Amino acid sequence: MWWDWHQIWEVASAPDNVPIVALLFFIPFYCWLAFREAKKNDELIAKLEADPAAAKTAHRKTQPYEKGWDREVHTWPYLMRVELLAAILVTVLLMVWSLTLNAPLEEPSNPNVTMNPAKAPWYFLGLQEMLVYFDPWIAGVVMPTIIIVGLMAIPYIDENPLGNGYYTYRQRKFSIWTFLLGFIGLWVLMIVIGTFIRGPGWMWFWPTQTWDASRVDFAVNRNLDDVLRIDGAWMAHLMPGSWKPFSGLIARGIFGIFPVTFYFLASGYFMNWLANRTAFSRKIYKRMSLLQTVTMLMLLALMLSLPLKILLRLVFRIHYVWETPWFSV
Amino acid sequence: MPEPSGPDPITGKSWSTIMLVSTFLLMLTVAWSLWSEFFGLRPWRAYQRDFASAYQDFLGKQIAAQTKAEAAVYSSPEYKKLKADLDAAQQSAKPKDDEFARRIALADLQRTAITPAFQSARGQVGALIYQVEIIPESNKSARDSAKKDVDGAKAETYEVEYPLGDGKTEIRKMNYDQLNAGFTDLMALKASLVAQQAEVDSSVKIAQIKLNEFVKEKLPGPSAAGLQNLRNAMSTFKIDMHQINVNPPGAMLNYVGGIGLVDRCQSCHIAMDPLVVPVTMTLTKADLGRTMAASHDAPFTSHPDQDLFNWHPLEKFGCSPCHGGNGRALDSAERGHGRYEHWLWPLNYRENFTAGCQNCHASDMVTEHAEVLNRGRSLYRTRGCIGCHKYSGFDDENERLTTTRQQIMQLESTKHDYSIEIPRLNHQADIAPDNDTAHKLNARATSLTIESSKIDAQLQTLESVSSSLMRESKRVGPDLKEVRMKLRKEWIPVWLTQTHTFRPTTKMPQFRLEQDEVQKIAAFIWQQGIAGQKLNPVAPGNAGHGKELVESRGCLSCHSIGEDSKTIGGDFAANLSRIGEKENYEYLVRWVHNPRERTLPYCPFEKKDITPEDYKKHRLPFQFDLDHSRCPNDGHQLEVQQPTIMPSLRLSDEDSRDVATYLMAQKHTNATYPPAPYMDDPKLAAAGRALVQHYGCAGCHEITGLEDEGRIGTELTNEGSKPIERLDFARYTEDAKRGMLINGKTSPRGPWYDSKGFFEAKLNDPAVFDHAKFKPDPMDRLRMPAPNLTDPKTHQIDKNDVDALVTFLLGSVDPQLPTEYMYRPADRRHAIQEGWWIVTKYNCIGCHQIGIDQKTTMQDLPFYQAENKANLPPVLTSEGARVNPEWLKRFLANPSLSTTDTNKNGVRNYLQVRMPTFSLADNEIRKLVLFFEALSSQEEPYIAPKSESLTNTETTFARALFTNPAAPCLKCHATGDPAHDKNATAPNFTLAAERLREPWAERWVTDPAKIIPGTSMPSGLFRREGDRWVFTGAIPSEFRSYAGDHANLMVRYLMGITPDEQRRLQGRSSGGGASPPGK
Repeated sequence: MWWDWHQIWEVASAPDNVPIVALLFFIPFYCWLAFREAKKNDELIAKLEADPAAAKTAHRKTQPYEKGWDREVHTWPYLMRVELLAAILVTVLLMVWSLTLNAPLEEPSNPNVTMNPAKAPWYFLGLQEMLVYFDPWIAGVVMPTIIIVGLMAIPYIDENPLGNGYYTYRQRKFSIWTFLLGFIGLWVLMIVIGTFIRGPGWMWFWPTQTWDASRVDFAVNRNLDDVLRIDGAWMAHLMPGSWKPFSGLIARGIFGIFPVTFYFLASGYFMNWLANRTAFSRKIYKRMSLLQTVTMLMLLALMLSLPLKILLRLVFRIHYVWETPWFSV
Repeated sequence: MPEPSGPDPITGKSWSTIMLVSTFLLMLTVAWSLWSEFFGLRPWRAYQRDFASAYQDFLGKQIAAQTKAEAAVYSSPEYKKLKADLDAAQQSAKPKDDEFARRIALADLQRTAITPAFQSARGQVGALIYQVEIIPESNKSARDSAKKDVDGAKAETYEVEYPLGDGKTEIRKMNYDQLNAGFTDLMALKASLVAQQAEVDSSVKIAQIKLNEFVKEKLPGPSAAGLQNLRNAMSTFKIDMHQINVNPPGAMLNYVGGIGLVDRCQSCHIAMDPLVVPVTMTLTKADLGRTMAASHDAPFTSHPDQDLFNWHPLEKFGCSPCHGGNGRALDSAERGHGRYEHWLWPLNYRENFTAGCQNCHASDMVTEHAEVLNRGRSLYRTRGCIGCHKYSGFDDENERLTTTRQQIMQLESTKHDYSIEIPRLNHQADIAPDNDTAHKLNARATSLTIESSKIDAQLQTLESVSSSLMRESKRVGPDLKEVRMKLRKEWIPVWLTQTHTFRPTTKMPQFRLEQDEVQKIAAFIWQQGIAGQKLNPVAPGNAGHGKELVESRGCLSCHSIGEDSKTIGGDFAANLSRIGEKENYEYLVRWVHNPRERTLPYCPFEKKDITPEDYKKHRLPFQFDLDHSRCPNDGHQLEVQQPTIMPSLRLSDEDSRDVATYLMAQKHTNATYPPAPYMDDPKLAAAGRALVQHYGCAGCHEITGLEDEGRIGTELTNEGSKPIERLDFARYTEDAKRGMLINGKTSPRGPWYDSKGFFEAKLNDPAVFDHAKFKPDPMDRLRMPAPNLTDPKTHQIDKNDVDALVTFLLGSVDPQLPTEYMYRPADRRHAIQEGWWIVTKYNCIGCHQIGIDQKTTMQDLPFYQAENKANLPPVLTSEGARVNPEWLKRFLANPSLSTTDTNKNGVRNYLQVRMPTFSLADNEIRKLVLFFEALSSQEEPYIAPKSESLTNTETTFARALFTNPAAPCLKCHATGDPAHDKNATAPNFTLAAERLREPWAERWVTDPAKIIPGTSMPSGLFRREGDRWVFTGAIPSEFRSYAGDHANLMVRYLMGITPDEQRRLQGRSSGGGASPPGK
């Protein structure tokens, strides 16, 4: 059933989903706020750079500064008062929240009945959505580990000294776009999909479509080797008898290496091209050691693999690109 | 160049306003949370405040009324007399009473005086004795010296100021032993004084009790003073949570981690608290000036059935185990009642309240105080739900029978193995290489021989069990093996399509069949019928006499007759209005004569009907009945009766013909039946078999080839606990969740996505969840047929029936309570429980009143009104105390009490209505006898009391009493003389000896109306004189000196009366035509 507004209301009003609904409003707002401030600061910085005389009075010419501004601001009271205000407002928010909505507790679990849809807590819905695109080993273990390690590695990769303590776009274009793609474009978007789009049977329900538990869908997802009909038949001729039954497995395992390797080479080349686009980024890029460069390229390639896989899966109905008995991607 | 500059964006702005606003917001939120904590989450506080004031007003009015009533009673002469008696008794007892009181007071004073000294002496001695005990016995010298210390302490004296009465005291010096003796003596003295005082006061006590009883009788309920106390308590009523804590060890009450039950329901339902509203009072909303309806905000009613608390004390059961709901939640009515998505045990709705009883009373057929539930159980059983849906404990004879048969087959195969093994062992022993081996093998063969004979014993027992079970096992619908003899062929397809139109009260559900399915099923049923057996033609009888018989023999306590508003009779069995359209006359004659009669016996081992040829093969006569029930082929128990509940009324052949003729006239003369030649098409029949299996016809009907078909439906024993995900609401899932009904209206109770909603929708229309489904093949569709729950008067589905069944199903849950809560009594109550299953199975209650408040179908029939009430079957409320169980067994097995002259009642020959022969299984007879005995609190086994034989004088006197004009016994009681018995209305005395129990008979002759109110047996034949009963009529002068109990004498005489004696006396008393006294 289409145009079922009640369905949207049911999902949006569930106490479970309060943070995600809030996310839908907060993220655009803070993005807008950050870009507005960044624009102002970038203008100030540009002015300062263009005016060497003014730059002399400034503390540093790379930071936004205007005549008449304090060169330094004390933590107390100027930082503390912001923190105090934030503490008060968050306390108010939490109290109102807890007064108006009860904890979304359910009945004691019944091991014989699986709820449908069975959804993770909201902050894990992105991971759960990833399970659609990769096998559990990759989506549940490898990727989360790389995400956490990658986040920890950022300070060691980042050789750009600018942009500390103020909003700027000009000085941190690369980081900002990486963030927008990785956090908002992938992580938040996947949480939103997991919450609002995925219904019973983890099927894709467009907004205003009723979540019908008895819906039946027909969709065939095939592996890339299936599409290309890699079955190892010709390889079997080259093998000793006892290996013959595994020829298909081996052929597919070997085949998968090629597209994956190709992807990593191609994405590395693309990123390298991207990083050398402006003089500023060339300068930063030059400063990086080989280890830093390779780590960054690897992480970015992995990050970009997710939207690519989503595309392959949802549009081209490709299940796995590389299937082995141990993992599949 | 002037540069644009401004104040510093961080230090240049004041934040005081936003700080102030935020702080203010914070304070507001804190205030909100405090309000929520004290009021928002505690709505019961407001209820309690409201209740306290309304209840005080109510009590004020009650006190005024009660005071007035009390004043009236206190000024009545009876009260004054009793009060005067009490005062007089008190006055006369006073001097002695005072003297005792003085002496008791003195003893108390003396004891008080010596107590401190005694305590310190005892303490010191005790401590020193301990010192002795801890010295090892081997260390003699140390022990001796310690013992000396003890002696020293015992010898020590204490000065005591000992009172002597009248305020005088003396100083006494007392050592330990004296103190000890003095103390115990004083205790004994006081005890004896108190006892003596009580004796003096006994007359006062009796007078007081009499006064209290008088007041209690005249002024039931709490006294004005009591009410005043209650009101005072309410004026200082503390608003607080009221809760019941139940924590039996190992309890899983409320199903939360085994920590027991905490029910806080009374915090809102404050009037349910017995400390607030005593159990002797009832309180309704109206009492407190609230409207009864639609006022959800005043849960101020006391429990509507307070009797239940006698067996279900609140401190053991709480509220939620019976009613459901979340007993701990207090923040809103919705939460407390558990009516939200995630509470699995919501409060039962009003119409399903008794569902809670089923939690523990699942083994009952009849549960007192639970009418709706009883109705549900009974519908479940009689409407044939049980034919498809298994329910543990309900009619499981078939399952038990199958198990028994399997055991028999297993044992037989073991026996067969042994019979091969034994000669083999013997042969091996013969050729054994040595003696030892030979002995061993022989011994083994011998032991197998003995084992084999043991198996024979087991088999015999199992055969008798299976024979008994076969008799117990009944089917809801009629036997379809005999359709060809019984039915008009063309009628069958019509019946299948218009089941509820043809017979609006039928139990058979309406199946949803396509035309071709009807043809296939009809063809299969017709062709599976026994062919080739013809019934001899019978001449038609007298329909007028048949009508009389139907009305008088008791047919109508089960069957009804007449259509629409003209229907009379019971709804236990079929309505007979259109029976003439479908039935074959000869078959009907046979059926009326004995409905249990079968054309061919069925052998469950060979799985076929046994024909005369089978008997011929074994040179046996073709004879099968309850006494000849062995299969000629393999010796197993045969099914020799029709598996119908309907008993044999033991009508004569002519009577059967008359009844059948009358019944054949019951038809619509304008009814037409299109010819159905397809019913002989074997191809259709082959297709019909699959359909008959698919629709589960064999669950209710006996069908050739499908005798062993199982039940096709879901087992419903724990249906109420089924997770909602397992109930398929199909295309109505979303509507149910959103509270939209199937008819498009909004559900008054909101979302109906729960068990109750599912059961109700399904019972109202079993096909409902096929709505909007695409199922072109009828076999894919939901197959549950529409049960006939239509009220014949309104032609609408009877909501009460649906509610009853839903209640029963909602109560059918996994046992959540500890086993000791389950009602599975081991004493007499168990016999009662078991008996109700049988009594309701055979509809004994259609004719007999067995329960105290139970109604029978018969008493409402037009033929048994006014003076004809005397012709109703006997009331059985005291049957267990009345009759000898040995006799009862015989009677139940054969109610005619005769093997030759069976066309009559054995006991009440004078009644038109006939006690039928049910061919009960031994097991059922046993249970029934125990049931009646248990209902009358009789011990089992029964041992007849020793009876003194009569002396000659006594016999003469008894005869005089028996023929006394004031007690014309033989005027009503039958004698066996047909001329006399025409007008008899009571049983023959000659039956008394073996039938009656003496103690009951004595109670009966002295006050029959107390045992059966409204009986035609006169009361007041005897009057109480001291501790004996004396005849009220004129006593011949020579017997006036007889000192014995007249009633007892009479009973002893009657227990020994012979037919000869009775005949002799009949002549004597015939002159005395005086009307019985005391009527």
